Amino acid sequence: MGEVILTMKGIDKSFPGVHALDHVDLEVRKGEVLALMGENGAGKSTLMKVLTGIYKKDSGTITYEGKEVEFKNTREAQDAGVVIVHQELNMLGHLTVAQNLFIGREFKKGITIDDKKMNEEAKKLFEKLNVDIDPTEKMSNLTVGKQQMCEIAKAVSFDAKVIIFDEPSAALTEAEIEEMFKIIRDLKKKDIAMVYISHRMDEIKVITDRVTVMRDGTYVGTLITKDCTKEDIINMMVGRVIYEDPKTHSAVPADAPVVLKVENLNAGKMVQNVSFELHKGEILGFSGLMGAGRTETARALFGADPKESGDIYINGEKVTINSPEDAVKYGIGYLSEDRKRYGIVVQKTVAENTTMACLYNFMKGIFIDKKKEEKVAQDYVDALATKTPGVDQLVVNLSGGNQQKVVIAKWLARNCDILIFDEPTRGIDVGAKNEIYKLMNKLAAEGKSIIMISSEMTEILRMSDRIVIMCEGKKTGEIDIAEATQENIMNLATREIN
Amino acid sequence: MAKKKPFGKLNGREAMVVGIIILMIILFSLLSPTFRTYSTFVSVLDMAYYIALMAIGVTFPLITGGVDLSIGTGLICYSLFGGYLIVHKDMPVVVALLACMVLSIIIGTLNGFLIAFMELPPFLATLCTCMITRGLGSLLSGGFGVSWPSALEEAGWFRKIFRFTSANGRVIPIGIVVVVVLVLLMNFILNHTKVGRYTIAIGSNKEATRLSGVNVKFYHVFAYVISGFFAGLAAIAYSATYVTIYPGSGAGFELDAIGGAIVGGVSASGGVGTIVGAFLGVIVITLMKVGLPFIGLQANWQQIFTGLVLIGAVLIDVVKKKK
Amino acid sequence: MEKIKQNAFVKKAGFNRIILVGVMLLMYLAFGALTKGNFFGMSRILNIMNYVYFLGFLSLGVTFVIATGGIDFSIGPVMFCCALVSGYSFLTHGVPMAVALVLSVVIGLLFGIFNGYLVAYWKVPPFIVSMASMNIAKGIAAVFTKTQSVSWPQSSDPNGWYRNFVKMGNIPTGLIIFLVAAIICGIILNKTKAGRYILCLGSNKEAVRLSGVDVKKWEMLAYVICGILVGIAAIFFVGAYTTVQPGYGDQYNNEAIAGCVMGGTSMAGGLASIGGTVIGVLIISLLQQGILALGFSKDYQFIITGFIVIAAVYADVSARRRKN
Repeated sequence: MGEVILTMKGIDKSFPGVHALDHVDLEVRKGEVLALMGENGAGKSTLMKVLTGIYKKDSGTITYEGKEVEFKNTREAQDAGVVIVHQELNMLGHLTVAQNLFIGREFKKGITIDDKKMNEEAKKLFEKLNVDIDPTEKMSNLTVGKQQMCEIAKAVSFDAKVIIFDEPSAALTEAEIEEMFKIIRDLKKKDIAMVYISHRMDEIKVITDRVTVMRDGTYVGTLITKDCTKEDIINMMVGRVIYEDPKTHSAVPADAPVVLKVENLNAGKMVQNVSFELHKGEILGFSGLMGAGRTETARALFGADPKESGDIYINGEKVTINSPEDAVKYGIGYLSEDRKRYGIVVQKTVAENTTMACLYNFMKGIFIDKKKEEKVAQDYVDALATKTPGVDQLVVNLSGGNQQKVVIAKWLARNCDILIFDEPTRGIDVGAKNEIYKLMNKLAAEGKSIIMISSEMTEILRMSDRIVIMCEGKKTGEIDIAEATQENIMNLATREIN
Repeated sequence: MAKKKPFGKLNGREAMVVGIIILMIILFSLLSPTFRTYSTFVSVLDMAYYIALMAIGVTFPLITGGVDLSIGTGLICYSLFGGYLIVHKDMPVVVALLACMVLSIIIGTLNGFLIAFMELPPFLATLCTCMITRGLGSLLSGGFGVSWPSALEEAGWFRKIFRFTSANGRVIPIGIVVVVVLVLLMNFILNHTKVGRYTIAIGSNKEATRLSGVNVKFYHVFAYVISGFFAGLAAIAYSATYVTIYPGSGAGFELDAIGGAIVGGVSASGGVGTIVGAFLGVIVITLMKVGLPFIGLQANWQQIFTGLVLIGAVLIDVVKKKK
Repeated sequence: MEKIKQNAFVKKAGFNRIILVGVMLLMYLAFGALTKGNFFGMSRILNIMNYVYFLGFLSLGVTFVIATGGIDFSIGPVMFCCALVSGYSFLTHGVPMAVALVLSVVIGLLFGIFNGYLVAYWKVPPFIVSMASMNIAKGIAAVFTKTQSVSWPQSSDPNGWYRNFVKMGNIPTGLIIFLVAAIICGIILNKTKAGRYILCLGSNKEAVRLSGVDVKKWEMLAYVICGILVGIAAIFFVGAYTTVQPGYGDQYNNEAIAGCVMGGTSMAGGLASIGGTVIGVLIISLLQQGILALGFSKDYQFIITGFIVIAAVYADVSARRRKN
């Protein structure tokens, strides 16, 4: 194995309310592929963003090629040879492949752009990487996989010495992944160092040399890939002590009626044949890693996105849900993971947001009965202990936890019996989290049924009565809380070679 | 830069528009014998010049995802300004032509500045400059119509750029050569220079373009400068083909140009479009404008039809996207 | 400064609106001084009020559209289309005056439905729709009237009773009607379901959709309300100016939008103030009439309004940028 090219030592980074990185170390060597693993929110992406200058570190040192460095932005990192291949593609769909590769640094012939030379250079680059892409093809005509190859080619064309792959395989097919691995092996021979962030255990085993594991913003350890097992890695990833007591058994009586039944729901690649049942008074946890298709399942169920097929039964009756309007009519409420975009109207008041879904209850003739509206909103503020100076306060001025309570109030005011909580505590501080948990338990006890999508293992184990685990658009398992452990959930959530 | 070009050098949309043009000519010719005359041919071209020039320019803002509504009143304003210099200040025609262009570039730059730097919505910023140029043009001309020197005078030489009268009195519309050359030139600039490349890139994904180290604001402004510049050229073409320029006219010209561009496949949401397509689209609009009176519809039906055609052309894109 | 802003009365009336009223009064006094008191004369005041009525209705209408985050700059030509088609029907086709007035509103309504449907259900960009309907309106008006101008009956004519809407003897009925309409618009915007959803969807359409609200319907309704108000504006226009000519009306787009944005309605949608619009319209009308009173031509109106809209929109844009 080659010499060390990049060392990150004692990297510390805090965001308001979150200690994202706690003295993390990382070491990358020439000609190796280092896997960087950890659960969602373990701090992998944050660490890479600190490296490439997107975030400024609070303390710690970065040594690159023997010199201490601190890149100010991605461009500076790029020029030095540290390039990141993003998960989301930053492509200009209307331009050709070659035009995309060289955007901002075109070859010129007089005042014109030398497209011929760019195409030739791109072709050479692709030949070097052994990929078959026509440089003159329009970017938007390529498959996502091919677009990913272009991103990699672009990184290589910067004379990169360190390439960071942030979940590169998420959107690729088997064949495309194979092709990408070929490129990675080639790059290895050229002594390029690579950091490979992925959740896929099988890929890690195949392509990487060492594995560094992070957990909750700290460095856990590094293993040699060929000497370790999947279980070793999972144990390092989840090996935290769970402080809050996990639920030991389901609180739902065995004979609780099924309020929602979903059969063979299909909606694109991210939702394939998903079926499950939800009982009255139950909290059904949806666990899985990023990109498992949980949010997509919820949105398809709720009618927010179109679905291809699948049957939905509410209280045993088959229903058609084609729009959020339909879903709300059947008593389903959806609390999005992205509150600001999908949950609340931030420029409006607490009262206005509370009655958004059930304004018809507050009409006196053609007028809105503002007194009644304010009273009901106030009732929910009291019941949910929302901290706000008044119901006429603009929601933009509330904290994350209190905004979440306003969204909950919106659905409670609409009398929804089925609530879908998508990452209910994301961006909410610890104290407020506990309040939300208490509230959810209370709602379940009162007979509401809850689907809770969560990426936090502790949250899943603490709240759920039953857990559905998804992986890459498919349901991979269902575990009763009595049998659930971090290990068996993580096992189902990571992909295994069949 | 679509790869598959089923009809020689034209892409699918352009070929479709050529088909429409041929159909329209056949239809009008069958319905009206007077349509099949040389003078109709010349009047179609006369009208096509200034609309096509505006369309060439406005294609750039459209491709960035914006729009320029000031080109119509701008055209009249520049033309009045030039005419004013000749008639009231006894300036040579060359100076007037230059003044036309300078003023058009100033207005274009103003548009670009408002949109790229002050971040005003393009339609609003250019709606304002539309009103400003309208007032300005009227002020400059003192509210009266202005005539540029006629072709019979020596100073009317510039008219021959567009309309050459041969010794036996036959009118030769050589302006079409000028316009086609400009179409090809701008097509080249759009596809083979940085200005064009970044114009498309801005319309495709402005933020990604900025992150690639491109001076996005500069090229954003430049798109509107091009639009203004071509409105200036259109003003010259208009002054050369028509006798008198009246203040207050010009509102609505922009619809013909923008409508033409959109019919020719330029997307209203940015990123997509060719200059050749915009030019062909303008021919469709012009044929309609000139042709409708021949089949018994009075001139004002044009406006209704142009509006409907514009909506129709955008709906094609909307429906395509839905699929 | 902060103290003043916290004052109960100031808070209720809105700090910016109070400033605007101040600007308005200062402008009035300034024009008065510059014209040596001429501007305070009764006839000037009537001129200003005549301008306020029709522009006010246009501005009220476009306030609803801008509240959704959209735009409609076909309102001026559509207003002319309403006045021309209904006026021509009255003069040439013998349609009774009452029917002609209703016809004007119906034409406005139809344009509102057309615009709203294309924007809300077909997702055609509002500026394209505006451009198209502007020309369709001009075209229809010209075709229908055979490009002749239309003169509505004078008040001496037995059919001139419609002018009582503008002025009945010495009672400024126009002002009363306009203010009542503004109050109704304020109630619609602030106290009904329609207004609530229009404002909310202008602020965050997706969140409103995910609350199970039929956002398309409400978005379209904003354009429909605008259309109706444009149809009414046409009546006040002919009530004051008698004659309408096909092919015009563009200039009022800008002035109406200017009044609306100046009054504090945000171009980004979600934030609208009817009271602000009323004050904005008063300022714009004062300005237009003031320019004329000072002996400048109409052309200055175009130029100055253009720059005012730029300034007002820029103030809105930069206020939003500061907040983010």
